[in-house]
Amino acid sequence: MKKSFVFKMLSLFVIASFALAACGSPAATEAPAETEAPAMTEAPAVTEAPATEAPSAEEVTLRWRTRPDNQEEIDVYSQISTELDAQLDGITLTYEPGGTEGANYQDQLRSEVAAGTAPDVFWIPGTDVADFATRGLILNISDLAAQTEGFNVSDFYPGPMYHLTYNPETDASGADSGALWGLPRDVSTFALYLNLDLIAEAGAPDPRELAAKGEWDWDAFLDVAQKTRALGSDIYGYGASAWWGPYGVWLNASGGGFFTADRKACALNTPESLAGLDFQRSLYQDYDVATPYGEDPEPPFRAGKVAMFQNGRWATPGVRTVDFNWDVVELPNGPKGTPGNWLFWGAYVINAKTAHPEEAWKLVQALTTAETQGKVAALGANIPSRVSQEALDAFLTFTPPANNQAFLNGIADAAAPTAEGPLWAGSWPEFDKIMGPAIQGVLTGATSVEDFGATICDEANKVFNQ
Amino acid sequence: MSKVALSDARTNQILRLHIIWRVVFALLATAGTLTPWIGWVTFASNWQKILVTAILLVAALASLFGARQLTRRSHAGRMIALTLDYLAFVACAVIVLNTGQVFIGIDALGETFGRGVPYLGIAVAGYFLGAIEEYYPKRNLSPTNSLKAVSRWVILGGFVLFLWQIDAVNGLLYFLSKLAQPKGLVAVAGVLVFGFSLWSMMRPELAQALNAKTNHEQIINGWLFLSPNLLGFLIFFAGPLILSFYFSFTDSDAFNPPNWVGFDNYARILNVRFAWLSSPDQLAREVVDIKIYDEVGRFKFGNGGLLFAAADKFFWLALRNTLTFALFAVPLSVIPALLLSNVLNSKLPGMKFFRAVYFMPSIAAVVGISLVWQWLYNATIGYINYFITVGIEFWNTLFNVAIVDPKIQWVSDENTALFAVIIIAAWQSMGFNTVLFLAGLQNIPGELYEAATVDGAGPWAKFWGITLPMLAPTTFYVVSTTTIQAMQVFEQVFILMNPPEGPNNSTITLVLYLYRSGFQNFKQGYASAIAWVLFIVIFGLTLVQFQRQRRSSIYEG
Repeated sequence: MKKSFVFKMLSLFVIASFALAACGSPAATEAPAETEAPAMTEAPAVTEAPATEAPSAEEVTLRWRTRPDNQEEIDVYSQISTELDAQLDGITLTYEPGGTEGANYQDQLRSEVAAGTAPDVFWIPGTDVADFATRGLILNISDLAAQTEGFNVSDFYPGPMYHLTYNPETDASGADSGALWGLPRDVSTFALYLNLDLIAEAGAPDPRELAAKGEWDWDAFLDVAQKTRALGSDIYGYGASAWWGPYGVWLNASGGGFFTADRKACALNTPESLAGLDFQRSLYQDYDVATPYGEDPEPPFRAGKVAMFQNGRWATPGVRTVDFNWDVVELPNGPKGTPGNWLFWGAYVINAKTAHPEEAWKLVQALTTAETQGKVAALGANIPSRVSQEALDAFLTFTPPANNQAFLNGIADAAAPTAEGPLWAGSWPEFDKIMGPAIQGVLTGATSVEDFGATICDEANKVFNQ
Repeated sequence: MSKVALSDARTNQILRLHIIWRVVFALLATAGTLTPWIGWVTFASNWQKILVTAILLVAALASLFGARQLTRRSHAGRMIALTLDYLAFVACAVIVLNTGQVFIGIDALGETFGRGVPYLGIAVAGYFLGAIEEYYPKRNLSPTNSLKAVSRWVILGGFVLFLWQIDAVNGLLYFLSKLAQPKGLVAVAGVLVFGFSLWSMMRPELAQALNAKTNHEQIINGWLFLSPNLLGFLIFFAGPLILSFYFSFTDSDAFNPPNWVGFDNYARILNVRFAWLSSPDQLAREVVDIKIYDEVGRFKFGNGGLLFAAADKFFWLALRNTLTFALFAVPLSVIPALLLSNVLNSKLPGMKFFRAVYFMPSIAAVVGISLVWQWLYNATIGYINYFITVGIEFWNTLFNVAIVDPKIQWVSDENTALFAVIIIAAWQSMGFNTVLFLAGLQNIPGELYEAATVDGAGPWAKFWGITLPMLAPTTFYVVSTTTIQAMQVFEQVFILMNPPEGPNNSTITLVLYLYRSGFQNFKQGYASAIAWVLFIVIFGLTLVQFQRQRRSSIYEG
């Protein structure tokens, strides 16, 4: 009887332990910054921000998240987190990659922000900054930045900083605007990944040489594309993915764009925009040199069937595995003499509900030092966001591709890149969902450029605040 | 342990304590109704405050009513007391686990679990040790030194080592450290008090004193067994359902307190216009107010046409696509399944293997399946187009003809994109439907077929005359559930298509649009309204199917 009782008690203990073992080790399960929702109709001032429990101990735990493209990046960010953990006194860091099999990074992040379980510091794409800022989901850290010795917004590329310092209440931007929503993690831009074997086989001129001579324009591009396309029915001269980035460059290069200069109305129907779109349409419909629009061009490029593949620096790690000769070249110049490239960026921002805004600000700064950015850039996936010759020189050493300069040319002032940016006066996701299918209709031949121009802004202008 | 019976006097004393407890409970609950409004507990929005206040108020009133019933020695009082204490006990237990961070600790357990897995092997070995005695019992062993006794200790030892390896000790200490705060301590006290009250009220003497009958005990046990599922249903299904109905009348963005907008969301969804066109290509802005409406589609006839415009064109496009999807996906996943089940119902060797093969797509992860199909569908290097090209070349060579390779752009052409999704969905659900039909076929009495054979019926006549009518209930179930699934199509489109809306919005579906509105465009209120409209559409379709089923005379009565 006694033994049975002891056994039952032991079993009970084991079962209870099983349930409570889920608590795991303290370090691994430290709760996210505990939060109570502040009034969120406007971004809380820094001094008011932590409507949360005061830190109970000197050591503060911060969760941070950024979207990695592959396991190598996860490893690098984890390593960076460990190193910064050691550097930052009183701060313990937990890095999490975010995103799951069924939910992408942004959707999961939004759900967590809504549930109040988002990390203290997280990365968002440049296009999302306005949505997060105007809804009070991220902190305005301008006060903290003003108190930080040595911090200067001009240390970063001006394109991203224009949007990151934009104050929607005053329409002002810049160091004195009274707004700072985060710091850019990195920048990137488009280039054309070249299958040099195909180009040589077709007897087409080397785009890198044409670019060096200043002869790399739309006509030269079309010439190379047509010559390589002639190699066979399954060989394509050009390939690009179906999202706003790739088609946007053609509009930008011809002097058009998505929005008016003040970004408060649709400009897709201007003659310049329509001219750029028409050239791109001709690549698909008239000259038939491109992989079918809407099909992922990366697999055929990696299979050696596409001569010129338009993509960002983030595609480099994947392209490095191909077994043909390859390199990159900047995008061809359009009618206005520039390639119309984008300056892509995303930013580290601070959760408005964090209990530790000052520590989070320290973390954001640490994540955007030249040293930290250099470690990530060494993987080859992106370009440091600090304007620093040292950082650029280091970037050039991260080969292949041999012609890394093509990416730097893309973000140079001479190329006049258009910074990816949010819509402070409207909803970017909704604009994108109207623009994307309509442009797809043109590029697949279902809609004429004229019909597109006649109707697109009627619809797209509805997403701007009236 | 022997149970000590209570004397009548003691029972009466305990009953009085319960009555007092019910009054205290009511007072506490009433006091609790004030906490959201005086700022003791912070809530994100008013609806949460109102909900908590309403629940506590109902609990307070119920507790007072229970106290009154207890004074009358009515069994209803006991039922009320048990219900309230049980719900409060569960709530406190959840708060204890939450305060101790058990729920988010699951991730940490995932990290350390692998270290302990080998030690689970010891527990498994212990189980087999016990099983040996089951099969080879030895008479000369006493219960205390039998293999079974040894096995129990080995299993226990294995589990203890496992817990040690997964850092359970630290976990326990961490749990206790997190509980050491006012919220945690109050919750622990709640667990103890409500648990004790429950235990006390369940005692037979008290039950007897409150005129409990045998069926009362059965009812209590029934509800107790049902409660985990019922609470889960109420909290995770019915609750959100009601909440989404409320949200559908607000402008909720999920982050800020929602504002009541009445029927605005529904009005926007249903705001449509039809306008005559003087020429087939007349611009929409010439016939409708383009500041409000967008063109959804146009019907061209003769020298004119009819324009269909809507305030939310995406909803109507999504509805069109969803209905088209269901129209094709349901027959394609039901009819082949019906035919296949008849084949698999035969007693030919190897049929069990094929049953498993056809069922496999149903249990495979949708994400994985969609990614595989994405590769298959690739227009330039996909296998489907490759085999079409090879087939056409073979045909052309063999018959000296010149059939042109269509080079189908499965997922990038607006004419084929939805069809590509339909193929996947039909392929995936066909196996599950086949199993359902198989179960139905095996319930058809063999005598019917024998009689039909005697009457000279052929296989086709048997199928039409016996199999199909006898399978009607199964068919009804299969068609209904497949239709509901089809109307809720999401995963395949979300993973397969890039962007998910497909070329020219050809694969935008209602659930996809709902998801996009709620989670990408920050319009949770509007997304909730879409969800309720979708519910009405599905409900209507199912109702029609029910009515058709009722008309079937074979199964009446």
